[in-house]
Amino acid sequence: MRWHLWVLPLALSAQPVEFNRDVRPILSDRCYTCHGPDTNQRKANFRLDRDPGPEALKKAVERIVTTSPAKRMPPQYLGHAPLKDTEVALIKQWVEGGGQYQQHWSLIAPRKVSVPAGANAIDYFVRQRLTRENLAPSPRASREALMRRVALDLTGLPPSLDDLASDISYPAYVDSLLASPRYAERMAIRWLEAARYADTNGYQSDGERSMWRWRDWVLNAFATNMPYDRFTVEQLAGDLLPNATRDQKIATGFHRNHRTTAEGGIVDEEFRVEYVADRSETTAAVWLGLTVGCARCHDHKYDPISQKEYYQLFSFFNQVPEKGFVFNFGNEEPYIKAPLPDQEKRLSELDAKLEVARKRWDGLQSKIRKASAKFTPPVGWLSMDDFVLRFAGAKFDGKEFIDGGLNKTPLNFQDPFTFMATIKPEEPNGAILSKSEDYWEGTGHGLYLVDGKVRLHVVFRWTDLGLRLETEKPLPPGEHQIIATYDGKRKPGGFHIYVDGVDQPLKILFNELSWPIDSKEPFRIGAGGGKRFKGEIRDVAIWKRELTPAEWTNRSYYAWLDVAAPPEIAQARREFQAAQRERDKYFATIQTVMVMQDSPTWRKTYLLRRGAYDAPGDEVQPIVPAALPPMPAGAPRNRLGLARWLVSREHPLTARVTVNRFWQTLFGAGLVKTVEDLGSQGEWPVYQDLLDWLAVEFMDTGWDVKRLLKTMVLSETYQQTSKASAELTQRDPENRLLARGPRLRLAPEMIRDQALAASGLLVEKFGGPSVKPPQPPGLWQELAGGSGYKADEGEGRYRRSLYTYWRRTIQPPSMITFDSPTRESCVVRETRTNTPLQALNLMNDEAYVEAALRLAARMSATADPVATGFRLVLAREPQAKERELLLAAQKRFGNWNQVASIILNLDEAVTKP
Amino acid sequence: MTQAHNLSRRLFLGASAAGLAGRSALAEMADLPHHKPTAKRIIYLFQSGGPSQLESFDYKPKLKDVFKQDLPESVRQGQRLTTMSASQSSFPMVPSKFSFAQHGKSGAWVSELFPHTAKIVDELTFIKSMHTDQINHDPAVTFFQTGFQIAGRPSIGAWIAYGLGSENQNLPGFIVLISPGQGGSGQPLYDRLWGAGFLPSKYQGVKFRSIGDPVLYLKDPEGITRDDRRAYLDTLGALNQVQYEQNGDPETQARIAQYEMAFRMQASVPELTDISKEPESTFKLYGEDARKPGTFAANCLLARRLAERGVRFIQLFHRDWDHHGGLPKGMPARAKETDQAGAALVADLKQRGLLDDTLVVWGGEFGRTVYCQGRLTEDDYGRDHHPRCFTIWMAGGGMKPGTTFGSTDDFSYNITENPVDVHDLHATLLHTLGVDHTKLTYKFQGRHFRLTDVHGKVVKAVLA
Repeated sequence: MRWHLWVLPLALSAQPVEFNRDVRPILSDRCYTCHGPDTNQRKANFRLDRDPGPEALKKAVERIVTTSPAKRMPPQYLGHAPLKDTEVALIKQWVEGGGQYQQHWSLIAPRKVSVPAGANAIDYFVRQRLTRENLAPSPRASREALMRRVALDLTGLPPSLDDLASDISYPAYVDSLLASPRYAERMAIRWLEAARYADTNGYQSDGERSMWRWRDWVLNAFATNMPYDRFTVEQLAGDLLPNATRDQKIATGFHRNHRTTAEGGIVDEEFRVEYVADRSETTAAVWLGLTVGCARCHDHKYDPISQKEYYQLFSFFNQVPEKGFVFNFGNEEPYIKAPLPDQEKRLSELDAKLEVARKRWDGLQSKIRKASAKFTPPVGWLSMDDFVLRFAGAKFDGKEFIDGGLNKTPLNFQDPFTFMATIKPEEPNGAILSKSEDYWEGTGHGLYLVDGKVRLHVVFRWTDLGLRLETEKPLPPGEHQIIATYDGKRKPGGFHIYVDGVDQPLKILFNELSWPIDSKEPFRIGAGGGKRFKGEIRDVAIWKRELTPAEWTNRSYYAWLDVAAPPEIAQARREFQAAQRERDKYFATIQTVMVMQDSPTWRKTYLLRRGAYDAPGDEVQPIVPAALPPMPAGAPRNRLGLARWLVSREHPLTARVTVNRFWQTLFGAGLVKTVEDLGSQGEWPVYQDLLDWLAVEFMDTGWDVKRLLKTMVLSETYQQTSKASAELTQRDPENRLLARGPRLRLAPEMIRDQALAASGLLVEKFGGPSVKPPQPPGLWQELAGGSGYKADEGEGRYRRSLYTYWRRTIQPPSMITFDSPTRESCVVRETRTNTPLQALNLMNDEAYVEAALRLAARMSATADPVATGFRLVLAREPQAKERELLLAAQKRFGNWNQVASIILNLDEAVTKP
Repeated sequence: MTQAHNLSRRLFLGASAAGLAGRSALAEMADLPHHKPTAKRIIYLFQSGGPSQLESFDYKPKLKDVFKQDLPESVRQGQRLTTMSASQSSFPMVPSKFSFAQHGKSGAWVSELFPHTAKIVDELTFIKSMHTDQINHDPAVTFFQTGFQIAGRPSIGAWIAYGLGSENQNLPGFIVLISPGQGGSGQPLYDRLWGAGFLPSKYQGVKFRSIGDPVLYLKDPEGITRDDRRAYLDTLGALNQVQYEQNGDPETQARIAQYEMAFRMQASVPELTDISKEPESTFKLYGEDARKPGTFAANCLLARRLAERGVRFIQLFHRDWDHHGGLPKGMPARAKETDQAGAALVADLKQRGLLDDTLVVWGGEFGRTVYCQGRLTEDDYGRDHHPRCFTIWMAGGGMKPGTTFGSTDDFSYNITENPVDVHDLHATLLHTLGVDHTKLTYKFQGRHFRLTDVHGKVVKAVLA
C-alpha cells in the first residue's frame, strides 16, 4: 500500500508501533502464505498469524534481516524480494516493544469513543488527526459547489435552477434531497452492482430473465428508508420469516440475481455448486467484508477462515430446490408471480367476473346432467375445442405409413396437446404417430411402442434437451385406446398416458424439456423415429390442449353440450369458458421474479476437496466461522438465523462494512479503501475510531441509512472545498486524511443522467421494467448473432440509467467505458479511470449529441446562454475568462450546439466539485 | 522499461500522477521486462467453437480401419463426457473424411482443407498435445482467455496491456477483431473475453468493429470537420486549464491529455483501417475476402497493419467451429474462410521482417471427439467437444519453426507425449514478451493474482 510512504514515518514518530495497524499488513502480505492460517501450506510448522513466543519471534526477525541468501526470509530461492527497510524497522520496533499480538481489528466488536457534546463526530476525529499531522482543514466549499456535490451524491442528478436560485439552507436542502424518490434511484444502483443484478442469465447464449420486480423492491426499500437490518434479513431470508409477505419473498431475489447457464452439455451439479458458491461469497463481500472465496479450495491464507468453515457457510445457501442447467427463455424455478398493484386489481376483477360466470354455470349443472344422461353422442363426435386433426383408421404392414403433411400440428415445447389413438399392434415395437425426424434419436414429438410399453418423446436434441417417458407396464395383448396429454408446462408431472381410459404410472427416461422444438417434419401415422407400425391404428385425434379424463369418461355430457344444449346453456358455457380464458391469459402476462426457497428436506453439504463439485469430503453443518461470535443458541440454523446473526448487535463486521461502503458512496473511497475486504489483507482503516463510532452509532439509531448519510453530509469535513494546494495534493494525493473535500469523477450512470437532466430530456418515472435506450447498431449481432438490440421509442430512451437493460455478456457500452462493473459477479468497490474512449463517448455518442442539441436550445432561449448552460450543468456562474472562451466558440461555430457539447465535456462537468 | 515507452503508456492509458491504478501498476511492475523478450507483440487467431484436430492437423490414418466401431473403453478410460454425448447409446468412431499429405521440409501432416497453411508449415510450431479442463464453450473460452473458467479475471490481453502497455501513442495496446463465420450458428462471444476483470477498466481490449465506427464513437457527428473538432478541443482544453489552475487536481490535466489522445485516434484509426491504398498483391495474398470488412481475411490484414503500428496484443476471433453435426459441410466452409488469410498473415509478417518479433497463435478452446455425435451416415457426421487433446500452431516471435511438439494416440483421444495445458501456453506467451508469468501480479481482494493463477510452466522445448 503506497500510503505507507507518507504515513508511516509520521506514525513512527507519533505513536507506538501497533501490531494490527503497522505489523500485520506486512506479515500478512509477505509471510502468511507459508506461515499463516492455511494448515496445508504451512512451512516448517511455523506460523506468524498467532503469537509464536518471544524466542521464536526473535529468530524470525533474524531470518528476515540476515544477509545470507540461503537463510533470508521470504526466501530468495523462491524469487521473493526482501522486506523493505521501513518494514523491517517496524517489525523490529514492535518485537523490541514486546511483540504484542492483537486479534485482527475488524474481528473485535467496535466501540464508540465518546465525542464532546454538540460536536459532529466525523469532524472531531478528522480534526484530531489533522492536528497531529500538522494539517489544517480546507475552507467550506462555495454554496453552489456544495449544492451540486450533495445533489449528485444523494440523488445522482444536478440541482435544478430553482434550487440554485432559492435561499434554502444547506441542511434543509439535504433533507429535501433525502426525501426525493431520486434518492432511492441513486442508492439503488450501487446495490444492484453488489447484487450482480442483470436482465439476462450471463453465460453462453445469455437468455433473458425478469428480475425488475426485485429492483422495484430495492427502490422502495431505499425510498421508505427501510432500516438496514430489516433490509438485510428480508433480502437474505424474507421467505423464511413467519407469514412472509409477497414483498418479503420478492426481496430474496437478491440471491437469485447471480449468473446462470443454459449451455447444452454442461454438468448440472457443477453449476448448481457454482451458484451456491456465488451466494456465499457475495454474502461475505457485502455483509462481512471478507474474501471467503479464498477458502473454497483450501484454508484461507490470510484470514481465520478454514475450508471447512467456507462449506459451513455454503450449506446455508445450498438448500434451494434448483438446477444448474436453467431455462433460457425466462425465469427458472423457484419463482413467484409478482403483480404490481394495478395488475392485482385487474386480476381480482377478472377473478370476480369468472366467479360470477362459474356460479351461473354451476347452477346449471343438475339440469345439464339430467338432460345429458341418456344422450347418445353422434357417431364419431369429438370435442372441437382446439381440435387439430383426426384420422379414421387403417391397417399398417410395418412398412407403409400415412403422411399427414406439414404444418398440421403446430407443436412446440410449451404447447399443450392431446394425442388419441386406438391401436391393435401385432408387434411390441413400432411408431404410432409422430412429428419427428425419422430416426430414433431425432428431433420432434412421437408416440411409440417400445417392448410393448407406450413411449412418448418430446425431443429437441436427443442427448441433452427434451423429455422422454414411457408406461411402466407393457400393454396386454389386444386392442387399446391410448391417450397422451401434456399441459404445456415442461415438467414430467404435466404428462399423462391413459390406456383404455386409465392413467398409467410413468417412468421418466429423460427430463430436460427446456428448448424450443422446431420440427420441419411432416405429421406421420404409423411411422417416426425410424420405426414403423404393424397392426391397426384407428380413431386418431389430436388437440392442442390438454383433455381431461372426464371428456372421455363422460362423453354424453360433453356431446350433449356441444350438439344438443339449448341456447341459454350454450351461452352460459361460452361465457364461463371465455371468463376462464380471459383470466388465464391475463394471469400469464403478469411478471414473475425468482426467489429463494429452502427444500423441505435439508440438503447435506460436504466440504468439496479442491473446490471440485465432484470431490465431496466430510459432511459439514450450518455453522458460522469460529473467529466471529456464534449464532445464539435458539436461532434457526438456516438463512434466517444467518441473516439475523449478521445484523446482531454483537457482530463486529456488518455495521462497519456497511458504513464504510456508504462512506465510499460520498467520499469516493472507504475509510478502509478495500471495502470488500476488512480482513488481514485489507487496508488498515485511516480512521478506525471514526469508522467504529459510525458503526456503533448506525446500530444504536436503528440502522437508519438516511440518518447515517445525513451525519456524513452535514459534517464540515464533507463540506470542505475540494480545491487543494500543490503541497496538499502531493502530501496526500488520494485525500485519505480528508483535509479537503472529495473531488471525483462521476459514476457512469450519473454522467448520462446529468446530461439528460441538464438538457431537459430526462423522463422521471420511478421503477418498472428495464428500458433500451439507443446504442450503436450491431453490438449484439457481431458477438451473438440473432435479431440484435432494438432500442425503445419514446420515453425508454430518456429514463435514468439505472433502468437500462443490462445484457451481461454484452453490456451497455457507455456504462462500461466509464468503469461500471459488468454485473457478472458482486462488485462493491468503486473504480474510476480516465481514457480517450471516454472522451470519444462524450463527444460523439448519439445520446450526448442529442443532449447537447437540447441543452443548446435551452441555453439560446435565455438572455445569457453561457450562464444558463453553466448553471444547468455545473450549477455555477461562468467566470469572465470562461465566458469569453465560450462566446468565441459560439462565434466560431455559428451556433450553441458545440458550446453546449463543450460544457457537457468539461472535466468539471464529469467531476463532483 | 524505457523512458519513452513508459511515457507513451501513461499517456494512452491515462495513468495520471494521482491515478490509483496507475501507481499500483507501476509499483508492482517496476522490473519489467523480466528478461529479454523474443516477441514485442502477439496476434492471437482464436478459432471459437473448437475446430476439429482430426480434420486439420492431427493425422490419424488408422481410424479408417475402425470406422463405426465403438471407441474402446481402454481408450476412453471413464473420461468425463459433456452431458451431450453422455446419453448417447454408442460411440462409433469416424475417420476424417478429408485426406492428409505431408508438406515442407518439416514434413508436417496437413489436411486438404488447409492448402495455404500447408505451404507455410516450415514457419509453424505445432503443439498437438494441448489440453484443457473445460468441456463446454463458455467456461472453456473464458478459461483460455482469462486463465480461469468463471468470469471475473482479466483477459490475457488486459494482463499484457497492464504489464507492457502500448508501443504506439495513438492506438490502444490491446485490440480485438471479430469475424462471425458464415455458417450463421456460431457460439456467442462475450465482452468478458477481452475484459479487464479486476484490473482497471482501461486495460480492457478495444474492439475494432466492422459495423459502424471501427472504434465506438470514433466518428465526429454529422457536419463536424476536423478543423471544427480542433477548435472545439482548443476551447475545451483552455476551459479545463482555467479550472486546473484553480483546483490543482492532476486528473484535470490527465483529462486534457485524454481528449488530445482521442483526437489523434480519430486520425490514426481510420488511417489504419483504410485498406484502399493496399496494393493488389495484398489481396492476392490474403484473398478477395480481405476487401470485405468483418471477414477473417480483412481482420488478418488489419492485424498486420496493427502489428506494424506496434499494438501489443491483437486478438482475433473467428466464430462457428462448433461442429456437433454436419462437420463435412461446416469444417470446409470455416477452413475456406480462414486458411488463406491466416497463412498470408504469417507470410506477410515474414516478408516485412515482422515475424521475428511478432508471435502468431492459431487455435480454439478445445478439440473434438474421435467418435461421432448425432447421426452417423456414409457422408455425414459430427463430433462432440474434446478437452483431452487438440492442436494449435504458433509462428514467429521466438518459436522454433518447422517443428511439432507433443503427440496423441491413434485415436487422437489421449496425449501420449508432452502435454501442454492452457496455463503452460499462457506462461509461454508471456515468456516470449519478456514477462515472467509468476511475477506479473495484481493485488485484488487481498490476493496477488496472476494470469496463470498458481499453475503454468513455460514450454521451453518450443522456443528457438
